[in-house]
Parts: sequence; C-alpha cells; structure tokens
Amino acid sequence: MDPFLLSQYVLSGVVIGVIYSLMALGITFIYSIMKMINWGMGEFYMIGSYVQYALIVNLVGPGRWYLALPLAMGAVFVLGLVVQRFLLRPMFVGGVERRDEYATIMTIALMVFFRNLAIVLGGPNQYAPPDYAKPVTLGTLPISGNRFVALIATLVLLGLFYLVIKKTWVGRALRGAAQNRVGIQTAGIDVLRLDMLAFGVGVALAAAAGALLAPDFLVYPENGAISTFKGFEIIVIGGLGSILGSVVGGVLLGVIEALGSVFVSSAYKDLYGFLLLIALLVFRPTGLFGERERSV
Amino acid sequence: MIERVRLALLAVLLVVPLTTPALAQKPVKIGVLTPLSPPGDAAAGQFIARGAKMGAEEVNARGGVLGGRKIELVVEDDSGTPEKGAAGFRKLATQDQAVAVVGQFHSSVMTAVQALAEQFKVPVFSTQASARQITEQHLNYTFRTHVIDPDRCQMWTRWVKERGFKRAALITENTDYGVGLVDETKKAFASLYPGAELKTIIFDRAVVDLTPQLLEIKNWKPDVLLNGGIGTPMYLIVKQAFDVGLHPAVPMLISYDAPTRPEYWKNLGEKGTWASFIVYYHPTMKLTTRGEAFRKKYMAEFKEDPIYGALNGYSQVVLLADALNAAKSDKTDDLLKALLAGKFEGWNGTISFTRGEGPYWQQWTPPMLVTQYTKPEMAFAEVKIVYPAELKTGDWMAAPKR
Repeated sequence: MDPFLLSQYVLSGVVIGVIYSLMALGITFIYSIMKMINWGMGEFYMIGSYVQYALIVNLVGPGRWYLALPLAMGAVFVLGLVVQRFLLRPMFVGGVERRDEYATIMTIALMVFFRNLAIVLGGPNQYAPPDYAKPVTLGTLPISGNRFVALIATLVLLGLFYLVIKKTWVGRALRGAAQNRVGIQTAGIDVLRLDMLAFGVGVALAAAAGALLAPDFLVYPENGAISTFKGFEIIVIGGLGSILGSVVGGVLLGVIEALGSVFVSSAYKDLYGFLLLIALLVFRPTGLFGERERSV
Repeated sequence: MIERVRLALLAVLLVVPLTTPALAQKPVKIGVLTPLSPPGDAAAGQFIARGAKMGAEEVNARGGVLGGRKIELVVEDDSGTPEKGAAGFRKLATQDQAVAVVGQFHSSVMTAVQALAEQFKVPVFSTQASARQITEQHLNYTFRTHVIDPDRCQMWTRWVKERGFKRAALITENTDYGVGLVDETKKAFASLYPGAELKTIIFDRAVVDLTPQLLEIKNWKPDVLLNGGIGTPMYLIVKQAFDVGLHPAVPMLISYDAPTRPEYWKNLGEKGTWASFIVYYHPTMKLTTRGEAFRKKYMAEFKEDPIYGALNGYSQVVLLADALNAAKSDKTDDLLKALLAGKFEGWNGTISFTRGEGPYWQQWTPPMLVTQYTKPEMAFAEVKIVYPAELKTGDWMAAPKR
C-alpha cells in the first residue's frame, strides 16, 4: 500500500468525519433533551444550504460566506423554535400517550413537507454558491478551500458548543434535562422551554453543516439525505446522547471509510461504516460513549 | 314553470353536442413520463416536457389529429426512480388512457416501464434513455429515438484512441446506465483499442463525497477521465476532480449533453472549463424543415438555443401525431402498425423504426459529437465540434498547466 495514498485517504476521512459530526451533534443533542429522534434533520441541513445560497447570491455577495453562515444558522434556529413550539410541544404537554412516537412521526411529515416545499419554491435543479476559498493542500491531501473552511468552522462551532454546554447556566440546565427531565423540573426549570431551545440549536447545527458544504455538495431538495444518513450512523457508533461520541464517531466513521477504500475498494466506501455500526451494535449496543439514563 | 325550464335545459344539453361536433370530440392523450424532481435529472425532464408541449401546441394549431381531435399531454413525474415511473405509467395507461408515452430519460426507469408497456399495449418512447437492453429485448411497444450505449462507448473509445490517451479511468454510478457504460466501455476497449488500459469505478448514486474514488483514480495516473455521472453526480465529479487536482490537468469527457444546459456554469463556475462532452445536437447543424421551425420558435420563446431533450421530446409528439393520422385510429394496435410502417420527419432527419439485430430494434439514432468548453462561461453556441473528424469545426485543446 502506498503510504502517500493512505495518508491522503485518512486525512480525507478525518476532514469529512469532523464535518459530518456537526450533523450528528444536532441529532444527538435534540435526542438528549427531548428523547425523540428528529428524522427531518436532513431537511434543516437542506434549508440551511438554500438560505446560505440565497443570502450569498442576493444579499451579502460572493466571498462573504462568513456573514451568511450565522444568518443562515439564525434563520433555521428561529424556524426550529417555531416548529418545536407549534408542532412538537403540544405532544410534550400533559400526559400524551406515546408522545415520542407521535413526535417522531411529525418530524417524518416535516421531512416530506420541507422537501416538497423546496421543489415548489426553488425548482428541482441544483444550485451552488461561489467557492468560499481556493483549493488548499492539507498535509498530503489536496482539498477544496470550501472543505477546509468547513473543517475550521466546524471546529469553531464544536468548541463554542462545548463552552456553552459546560460553562454556562443554560448549558448546565440542558445537561440536567439530558440526565433527568423529571428531576430538573423539581429544581424549578421550565423543561418545555429547554426543549424549544435544544430543538432550535440542534437544527441550527444541521443548517451550519448544510451551509458550509453547499459549494462542494450542491444545493438541491434532497441534499440533506446523505448527511442525515451519516449523522445517524455516527450517533449509533458514538453512542446516542453523547456529545463526545458524535465527534469521535464522526472521525472514526470517516477513517474507517477511508481505510476500507484503500484496502478493499473505494466503490464500496459507504459499506464500511455500516460494517462498523453492525459490529458495535453486536458487541457494544450503547455505542462507544453511550450512557444510561439516570433516575431519581 | 320549473318543469319547463328543466326541459329547456335538457334540450340545450342534448342539442349543443350535436350541433358542435368538433367540441364534442374527445382529445387524444399522450403521456409524458419524465424526471421532474430529484433524484432524477429534473432539468432534463423539464426540457423534454417543454419540447413535448411545443409539439402538442404545433399539432393542435394545425387542426389536431384524426380529423380535428386535439392532442392533450398528460405530464407525470417519474423522479428518476423505477417505482415512481411504474406508478406513473400505470396511471397514464389506465386512468388517462394515453395512446403512447414519451419522455423517458433514465434507463433504470425505462427498463421498469417497458414491461408495463407490453402489458397495457401502449407504446413507450425513450427520449434520452440509452441502455442497450432497452431495445435489445425486442419488445413490441418499445421505441427509441436516442443513441444507445454501445455506440456511445465505441465513440468515446475511438476519441480516446485518436487523442493517443493510453490510460483511461471511467467513474460512473450504480444505475443501469452506469453499469452499462462500464460493460460497454470494457468491450469497446478490448475490440477497438486493445493496447490501452481502462480503470472503472462504480459509486452509489446517493453518495456526495467522491474524494476517495477520485484520489484513487488520481493515484492511478490516468491520461483521461470519463465522467459517467447523470445529473447531480456529474456535477460532483467535475467539482471534486478539480479540487483534488485531477481535472483539468487530466482531460475529462462527460458522457452526455448536460453541459449544454444553462445551469452548468452556475453550478461549476471556472471548474467547468476544459471539459469535453458528448452532444447530439449542435447549433451549427442543418435541421429538417420541421426542426428548423421548432428551433426558431423555441429561440423566440425562450431566448436561447434549444436543448437536445426539447428537440427530441418535440419530435416524438409530432411523430406520434403523424402516426395517428396514418393509422386513422387512436387504437394502440393500429398506432403500432403505423409506427412500424411509416417514415416520419424528425428534428434532424427522417425517422423510421425498423426491427434490426440486437439493440437496433425499433431504434433511430441521432448523431453523436464531442465538443469542448475552452473558456469560462462559454456559450454552447460557441463550442467547437472536436470529434468525429468528418464533422469537426475546431481542434480539441489540452488545458494549460495550473
């Protein structure tokens, strides 16, 4: 095996794994707080990419992706708040039986709705915002400037997320809600408001991934599908509900896919992650960093 | 009083259809089953539907078919997926009673709906689906007015040979089209260019990150890259090949005419420069009277040169109108006989459907040309035909070193 090619594959896997972990973090964060899976996550990724494209082309201009990114995240954050408040929250108020299942079905309906809405509003064609930066070489790996920007921005967003969760009062409340929803209510915290915040932040992270990858992976109604796919793979590998697991799982998935491409064939790249996932489910069903829910 | 009004109304309802026979004649329905949403190549479907509509308008403007009946198009979206295609075809054949279905673009969908065409005895036309097996099965109700992949692969093999490229890499998707390209290119290289090496990679159509595959190809050091993606994958290959430093240092040939569409430059920017691509229509071509009239009308209406899909969609509808008139019936069996017996004016020549050997069954093939973009934002009307030699209008150019 050519060590040069091997290093290129591993680096490529790490880069894309880190970026995908942003998506996984959004999924796992919402799950941690609300205990429900948001199957419409890919559509928030898609909306993020559309908003980013629209902002760059119509408002901030090419080369100012860094202005469009927070605006796109903000727009999707607000959309997330609205969706949670009016479509999901009613199921979390009172003693609704099987609320998690209903909420999950609601997110599937949202997935179909947003995808079709994108076709109606933007047409079925692909779009691409101008490149964020010129191609660069990262060690041995030649990559697009867009992906390098996405890597750096993802690391910044992950760092910010960590700081907020670990160092602020809101973060402490969110961690408390993740550990025990009933317990935190006894401490006088409005868990429904935390749900809304968590949903907004989670979908904004997905929107960030969509906005950052828009020039490389294009903007079209179904562009969130593969990222959602990867996001779910990552959270199963890393452990559902684990923030650290999202990042480690993302990198691990990227590296496994890269190694499989080197040693077997790049044609089956997506198969290797699933083999890892199956192995983990057999030998460690909670994933690498999965935790049991605490009870009082 | 009320009773008298009722009787008068009844009389009117009975008399009006008898006194206005033209209004009473029901239209002849033609189905347009084509990709209008992802994951299909929706842009292609839009152009095909646009051409078909213009064909129906033209036929209706000159009095319709079968003594004054209008052509009514029923457009269905197959999304480029066999299951949606099959559902759409069933609806067109049973609910809408379409006499024929045009617009097929994806080979996987066409392959799925062919069996239904036989079952319902409704002719189905491939407008841009090119897999070999479509016409090789020798089905009675399957027709094609588009190129077939063995011809496409032989053509690009000859082009690779003419250019003196010794190592060719083909990257394509896991669809009937992509798998067919691999098989046919292997055969073509073995028979036409035995000294050359060919590397093939098939990827899942849903994949968006093709970096590992393209790095593998780059490491193999090819002289030319054959891009077998359709729709989004085609764009992803061009973008990511550029990003890993493969293209344009290594020349790329795109397997079909997507670069002729207006969104090509919007999606790729300068990364689309130096790509060579196969087309079936070029603005400098001499067209038939019918084709020339369509081109003029299209340019007047849309302020751009027509796209091949629109030309072919248009041709299939007017061809069906001619066949219906020749058959003097809207029964599909009569239509089938007329299609097999007749000669029809298409956009670029006279179309007839003979039952030849292998895939040349009820098949009419347009020309195939290799063209190349040599500067950013280049208009399609400006591109030169670089292959085949007898139709060349300019020389193929290698990209300058970055």
